[in-house]
Amino acid sequence: MDRNMTGKTVQSAPGGKLLEVKDLRVSFFTPAGEVKAVGGISYDLDHGEVMGIVGESGSGKSQEAYSIMGLLQSPGKVVGGSITFEGRDVLAFSEEEMTQFRGSEVAMIFQNPMTCLNPVYTVGDQLIEALKAHDKSISREAAAKRAMEMLELVGINNVRKRMKQYPHEFSGGMRQRVMIAMGLICHPKLLIADEPTTALDVTIQAQILELMKDLQKKTRMGIIFITHNLGVVAEICDKVSVMYAGRIVEQGPVDDIFYRPGHPYTMGLLRSMPRVDAESYERLIPIEGTPVDMLDPPEGCPFAPRCEKCMKICLKRMPPYVELGDGHRAACWLRVEDQIGQKREEDGIHG
Amino acid sequence: MAKYILKRIVMAIVTVLVVSCVTFLLMMSVPGSPFASERALTPQQEATLNAKYGLDQPLPVQMVNYLNKALHGDLGESLKMQKGRAVTDIIKEMFPVSAKIGAMALVWAVAVGILLGCLAAYHRGKWIDSLLRVVCTLGISMPSFVVASFLLILFCSPIAPQLLKSAQLTAIFDAGLGLKAYFMPCFALGLYPMCYTARLTRSSMLDAIGQEYIKTARAKGLKSGKIIFKHALRNALIPVITYLGPLVAFTLCGGFVVESVFSIPGLGRYLVQSITNRDYFIIMGVTIFLAAFVVIMNLVVDVVYKLVDPRIDITKGE
Amino acid sequence: MADKQKKPVIGSLQPDVDAMLDWDRLTPDDFAPAEPEEKENFIQARRSVSYWSDAWRRLRKNGVAMVALGVIVLLVLFAFVGPMLVPYGYDERNIGAENLFPYHYTLEEQAQYQEAASAADPETAVANARAEAEAKGETLTRKEEALIRAKAKSGGEYAGMSEAEVYAALGIHKHAFGYSNKELQRMADGEKVFPHMFGTDKLGRDIMVRTMYGTRVSMIIGLAAAFIVLVIGALYGSISGYCGGKVDAVMQRIVDVIYSVPEVLVILLISTSLQPHITQFITDHQGNGLAESMRTLGPNLIAMFISFGLLYWVSMSRIIRGQILQLKQQEYVTAARALGASGGRIIRRHLLPNCIGQIVVTTCLQIPSAIFLESFMSYLGVGVSAPLTSLGSMCRDALSGFTSYTYRLVIPAAIISVMILAFNLFGDGLRDALDPRLKK
Repeated sequence: MDRNMTGKTVQSAPGGKLLEVKDLRVSFFTPAGEVKAVGGISYDLDHGEVMGIVGESGSGKSQEAYSIMGLLQSPGKVVGGSITFEGRDVLAFSEEEMTQFRGSEVAMIFQNPMTCLNPVYTVGDQLIEALKAHDKSISREAAAKRAMEMLELVGINNVRKRMKQYPHEFSGGMRQRVMIAMGLICHPKLLIADEPTTALDVTIQAQILELMKDLQKKTRMGIIFITHNLGVVAEICDKVSVMYAGRIVEQGPVDDIFYRPGHPYTMGLLRSMPRVDAESYERLIPIEGTPVDMLDPPEGCPFAPRCEKCMKICLKRMPPYVELGDGHRAACWLRVEDQIGQKREEDGIHG
Repeated sequence: MAKYILKRIVMAIVTVLVVSCVTFLLMMSVPGSPFASERALTPQQEATLNAKYGLDQPLPVQMVNYLNKALHGDLGESLKMQKGRAVTDIIKEMFPVSAKIGAMALVWAVAVGILLGCLAAYHRGKWIDSLLRVVCTLGISMPSFVVASFLLILFCSPIAPQLLKSAQLTAIFDAGLGLKAYFMPCFALGLYPMCYTARLTRSSMLDAIGQEYIKTARAKGLKSGKIIFKHALRNALIPVITYLGPLVAFTLCGGFVVESVFSIPGLGRYLVQSITNRDYFIIMGVTIFLAAFVVIMNLVVDVVYKLVDPRIDITKGE
Repeated sequence: MADKQKKPVIGSLQPDVDAMLDWDRLTPDDFAPAEPEEKENFIQARRSVSYWSDAWRRLRKNGVAMVALGVIVLLVLFAFVGPMLVPYGYDERNIGAENLFPYHYTLEEQAQYQEAASAADPETAVANARAEAEAKGETLTRKEEALIRAKAKSGGEYAGMSEAEVYAALGIHKHAFGYSNKELQRMADGEKVFPHMFGTDKLGRDIMVRTMYGTRVSMIIGLAAAFIVLVIGALYGSISGYCGGKVDAVMQRIVDVIYSVPEVLVILLISTSLQPHITQFITDHQGNGLAESMRTLGPNLIAMFISFGLLYWVSMSRIIRGQILQLKQQEYVTAARALGASGGRIIRRHLLPNCIGQIVVTTCLQIPSAIFLESFMSYLGVGVSAPLTSLGSMCRDALSGFTSYTYRLVIPAAIISVMILAFNLFGDGLRDALDPRLKK
């Protein structure tokens, strides 16, 4: 529990970013060629901050998260950029340091709780194991006690019995709770949740989200929440990065993203999201087309072919980031055009 | 669970019954008298013999009689090779020899096979993986008689290196030598199952390593050794267990050849000899016995499998 | 270019747009809406690769599998073209060429050896000396004879040495390929004689030709068994999987029974008991085409085919059934059914094409296992019967004399291992190529 306390204090400490990712590039070296799954993304995260990474399948959002954990599987490789966790260079960690880092400081939960727990060990075993991996001195009894506390914390009843059960005896939502308990058992400062609610029923999704929000408040840990569901983002996140084809196309506080989206892709995502408050006749508008081929990404904006406002320059050059507000920026030529217009206006006024 | 076991036992009994009937009918369908190859018999003598062995009755009656007797532990008697000796008696004498060699071969084969399989999976893509892959494919490509022959050449022929020829290895199978005597037959018999197990373990290990729970284990910060040997291996071994049944059968049949090559007085060699001599009651009896043995081993393996894999709900049957 | 643009200063999220762009070079035209054609041209459509060409590409890149394929081709040539090039028949006894080694000494060298070896024999030495003396018109005293005898016994340079050692001591090397003395004589007379490359057996039959025929028999059995297994297994499996319900339950119980019985045992039994029937059939129907072809193949071989047909399709049918069950759940089958497609059509058009990869692989891996089993049976003496030969029965024949004629055991044993190995490796490669999901 100490760490949580420090987590709180560090948050206010100056310059203490929890995580800084700079120009991270991840490539997969397949027989067909290099696939640039992540093509240079940057963001940072404060202690206790919740960031959402939104994007469709194949946009590189999971690979980006795996590279923080050092979980990239061959043939995937980090080919550039840096990841700094509390001032330490994660990419420079040795194998041992990485093993120690995983689970104790950063934890991760995955999309499919059905397959993420080892079917041949009891839930209790797997929880205790997670604890013992980082604290050799802890006795089995103490570890079991701690595991039961965690299970209770994530809302599982009858923990004594549940500890001795195998994963297949749990429902999907319950398993995801176990996964969360397992992730949090060592009090990590950062939790990466890779689509933790996608595989669950809608009602269960809401419960799990509620639980995570609740736990985040209690522990003040940072969370990176990876999802393709903007609704989930609105629910839980402080800020959002929208990823498309391995790049962050828009980034900003959650309100800005929702109310003043700067990138046509974000707008498309918002339009395709069902809303409770929508007028009954309002139609959902899907984003037409399919993502670009990551094996051979074209010059220019990858979203251009699907963009209804596509301009000539979009097909030729990659757009730069344009600042749209405090911490809110988008990579789109439309916004560049706006800025040019603004600038001319200003020039006109002054000149 | 009890229901499942019961179902499997019924299935096993049906299988043995079917095998017995088929064996009986096949053997009885062979044209000519089973006594034919002995010195020419007068029709009278043959009639007497037929009557003695109940061969003068209609086929279904013979079959029921035979099965009934078999159920009471009487599998008939040898007509030629050890004239008049009960088949059960022969089995009792020879099966332990075969079983001992077979069991020893299987034990080393499975133990080493699993070890090598893990090794290959752990170093997948490296040279050691490729080497093991080639060796194991070679191992499953050599019939046991080839392995046995090469062993003989290596240890017992004039061109064998002097070093290998020395010591007591030249004695092929002499019970007085204790364990040493078993070296060659066990190696010849176990090579195929060993390589098979290794290949199987490797692929099911890789399969297990690709599973998501391994990703979870890695995310927990477990050491890679622990991930491989605790999380992956336990899951990988489950399919390996299912193949133990067929492997038992295979080793048993491999024994036919290995026992013949090394002149081991086991049941396999005896069966082969009785086939060449067309001693029908021995063929029938031994076949039924071995089939029943294999079916029972399969049954045991299946039940063990269900016990090992916790995903199978024990309380609800299948 | 993209790199530069993508490097904003971290800390402040403010990207230095001005620094990164030369604004002057941007024209209003750049901000004109793009034409649809331009958008289409933007993405170069990736050349779509068909399943088979993709599989072929993967297979070609697999060195081991390609080498295995090469070995298989060589063995096919060896087995099917080889016998045409060698002037000996597999059952032809070359009189005077019995028990030849795959090497020979020339006639002169043999004479040298004779001389040396006979010199070592005391009696011959005495006889030689006596003949010499007689030629000179003298007689040997008993004492002189005894001396010669003693000398030959102790000092006989090559006494107690084996043939090979004597040759080595004489400084004579072996020459490749076996020739009988008669053949060497014919060669000396200027005739061309085809060598016995692998030597001959105790009846004077050329081992190389026998190996070729043995390989041929093994290959035919492998292919035929694979074909039988394919047809029966695919049919049984697809019917069972497609019909489902009670039909499937009954069919699967049958499979269970067959599966739990050791195949070798049953095949042993079936071929033993069927063989007399087939022999009977052949003798009863002499002159009949079918019976004649059966005679050529030999009753054992036919019995083996029948046993394969009865037993070996089980695993194939299981695989196909599993695939079908899996595919049956998928929407396009439901769609086809909703469109009123008949059962047979659904199997043909929708189900089989989807499991063709696995069928090919299983069929291919059936070949080595059939060869394996055939050699096993032949070795036990219940497989291919004389005069036809097989690698297994050659090994069996060679076992009794393996200490002197090791090569007779080694050659067929090595060929059979190499053949099965090549098929296995190729099958593995095929599996990796056809089912990339399995490749790790």
